[in-house]
Amino acid sequence: MDELEQIRERKRQELAGESGADWPSEPVNVNDGNIVDFVKRYDVVLVDCWAPWCGPCRMMSPVIDGLAKDMRGKVAFAKLNTDENQKTAMRYTIEAIPTLLVFKDGELADRWVGARPKEDLARRLQAML
Amino acid sequence: MDADVAIIGLGPAGLQAAIHAARKKVKVVALGKSESSALNKAEVVNFFGILSMAGPELLRIGREQAKNFGATIVEEDVMKVVKDGDEFKIITETDLEIRAKAVVLAMGASRAKLNVPGEASLVGRGVSYCASCDAGFFRGRTVAVIGEESEAAESAILLTEYAAKVIWVHRELKVSPNMLQKAAAAKVEMVPGDPTKIEGEASVTGLELKDGRRLDVQGVFITLGAKGSMELALELGLLPDPSGRIRVDENCRTDMEMVYACGDVTGSPWQLARAVGQGAIAGDNAARAVRQEKS
Repeated sequence: MDELEQIRERKRQELAGESGADWPSEPVNVNDGNIVDFVKRYDVVLVDCWAPWCGPCRMMSPVIDGLAKDMRGKVAFAKLNTDENQKTAMRYTIEAIPTLLVFKDGELADRWVGARPKEDLARRLQAML
Repeated sequence: MDADVAIIGLGPAGLQAAIHAARKKVKVVALGKSESSALNKAEVVNFFGILSMAGPELLRIGREQAKNFGATIVEEDVMKVVKDGDEFKIITETDLEIRAKAVVLAMGASRAKLNVPGEASLVGRGVSYCASCDAGFFRGRTVAVIGEESEAAESAILLTEYAAKVIWVHRELKVSPNMLQKAAAAKVEMVPGDPTKIEGEASVTGLELKDGRRLDVQGVFITLGAKGSMELALELGLLPDPSGRIRVDENCRTDMEMVYACGDVTGSPWQLARAVGQGAIAGDNAARAVRQEKS
């Protein structure tokens, strides 16, 4: 990383800190009761809908954790256990997991089904900013 | 049955691993079905020293060669691999149990798309490729399971615990009588047929078959082939990357002690030359590990 990029990165991190101290650096567990509030709090939110028995969901977990760190200040990340939060699962007609719900300005903007690489998700999210 | 090295997969990577492990004078059992290998559908023209050869013929020779070096070939799909103390326990589709000191994963990559209209647009809205992930979303509904092999059987049986009715749509069945009996006992409805279209707008509403019949279903589980490398690896305790690739080092060692992987399961290019190259490394190193030699 050259010096200019280091300065940019430092600035980005400062801005992320200033623009809201509550930008999570790791995915926040949401539920039927608080998901609506959470997705309204940030411009772009990705909700990883998963369940404990789902193998591909486990494969996605480190990817989502990594993106939450990398995109802090730009995208907020959450996890929703579909087994324990069936109202939300029904509301968004989730019939396969992992399903990634993407909210922009509090509204559902896109949904991506199945495990996919980190770079692919980062590119798709960047396009929504 | 006991083995020093169990190899899962009878494609080129698995067979080459069997040849190299057996040459090290350890007891080798190689399991799977060569017809599931991508090579079974290929004409080989780009492999060193072979101008042109049909994939099935090359696989047949490979099986003979592995046997000649002393490997035991078990032509059954593997349904489960688990760590059990210092050993691994492998269960096949006929409930045969094999205990091994080292395991080589060579199950190939899944290319399990049905390629019919409606499939891509309804993924996550009734179309699923993973019964163990998504069965719970189909409680009390009617679902179709599409496939001919052990993965379809296992998926159909699992789905009967959730769905009101499970219809197994198949062409030519390639599954053991043992699994068929289990499916019958679970009241899976068998429908011979060739799916041509998945119906639905917002979600799946039906499945069309080539002969004009229409099945009224709300879910379609596409389960082609044998149980996938991703699921077996996850059950064993390995975490593949999101594309299903199992990470290995230059010695074809995975993140788990005494577990090796080779061929398409470890990534692309999906080529015969790469598969046999890695197969030789994995088989040789698995045998060395059992003999407690250095790689």
